Amino acid sequence: MKFNWEYFFQTLPYVASKLNITLSLTIISAIFSLIIGMVFALISYYKVVGLSQLLKVWVSFIRGTPVATQLFFFYYGLANLSSWILNMSPTVAVAVIMSLNMGAFVSETIRGSLISVDEGQREAAMSLGMSGWQMTSRIVIPQAIRVALPPLFNDLINLFKMSSLAFLVGVRDVMGAAKIEGANTFQFFECYACVMLIYWVITLILTAFQKVLEKRCDSIYA
Amino acid sequence: MVEVTGLSKTFGKDTEVLKDINLKIKKNEVVAILGPSGTGKSTLLRCLNYLCEPTTGTVRVGNVTVDAAHHTRQEVRNLRRQSAMVFQGYNLFKNKTAKENVMEALVTVQKKPKAEAEQIALKLLEKVGMLERKDFYPAKMSGGQQQRVGIARALAVNPDVLLFDEPTSALDPELVGEVLNTIKQLAEEDTTMILVTHEIRFARNVATRIIFMDGGQIVVDGTPEEVIDHPENPRLRQFLNFVTK
Repeated sequence: MKFNWEYFFQTLPYVASKLNITLSLTIISAIFSLIIGMVFALISYYKVVGLSQLLKVWVSFIRGTPVATQLFFFYYGLANLSSWILNMSPTVAVAVIMSLNMGAFVSETIRGSLISVDEGQREAAMSLGMSGWQMTSRIVIPQAIRVALPPLFNDLINLFKMSSLAFLVGVRDVMGAAKIEGANTFQFFECYACVMLIYWVITLILTAFQKVLEKRCDSIYA
Repeated sequence: MVEVTGLSKTFGKDTEVLKDINLKIKKNEVVAILGPSGTGKSTLLRCLNYLCEPTTGTVRVGNVTVDAAHHTRQEVRNLRRQSAMVFQGYNLFKNKTAKENVMEALVTVQKKPKAEAEQIALKLLEKVGMLERKDFYPAKMSGGQQQRVGIARALAVNPDVLLFDEPTSALDPELVGEVLNTIKQLAEEDTTMILVTHEIRFARNVATRIIFMDGGQIVVDGTPEEVIDHPENPRLRQFLNFVTK
């Protein structure tokens, strides 16, 4: 068995052309997981009675089960109960699961960053008679963002790679397209090499951007 | 100016940190609270602005009275607006420059226009000798500099009483002087102040009244001459012996 470079370079543009699906899945899930994460984080930060305990269980459940299983459970399992899920397009189902899954991780990242702002500054704000919201919005959140951005970017990279699970429910993303192409030509080696290369290059770009972000975050307020 | 009646504070079930404290402080008094560690000095001070919620008793600062038995969030906020606190750990807002730290409460709590708040901030920074550092973030200031900004920030809200919670305890020895000088300057201007401190000599020089606390109670309350120079209470004598040696 030899690696067919010609076929590899021939297939690469086709597989790469599915990046639009992979990237839109990533971006849409990133937006929703950020919204979910912020809401969840605020609930546990303010220790909302009942809800925050419920969230703890939810986050532990999401973090303690594989994403692929979550996707199947949702798309094939829960579909039995809900015609809404049954009629859902696979792409939407993947986006839902990616958002829910990453939302749990993002909420932990954000919660940690909120807690990282020391109690002393909160006391100072309170002692001056500032309201809870003034303190959170003007003192805590600006500092928390600085702390949260680098790890959030990590979550984004993970989300990008997670999107490759979409092929499991038949979405023709980068991974899905490579799988179908490979099944037609039996040249899986080259097809999946294309996928690896594409993911790696994009991740490298994102990581480079993350480095810059980290530096900026470190130098602000100093 | 400040009145505390029947104040007690219990942590958990039966750790009684403050026992039935009654205290009246008049305008222009500079009160130093001394005492061994763990006798509730800081807790008492923090009860005055409800950073620590008393278990029983009332606290009055200026014209706002808050009763531990029934109080609203708004009452607590009103009470806090009557005083300002200088912390052991400075507690400057790390995302704000020296100037912005001083302006913060003026803009958010007192709703002053930015330009006016800035004028006040610059004047106060000059007073504490920090005008040159007005655009520095706390990360770029020494402990003593941070604490002087902390004092300017507390002064900005024009409080009825200034509360100092061990303002020099976290400082390197060579930086203590600059902060004590700033506090001394305020005392000479008849600012009403309550200081929890371990600096006995400083308290002797600056305070108009000294309170000695032990075991969650006020044990001695008198002038610096009475308390420091001619201590009668045996526990006070023991304490002074111990710390001045």
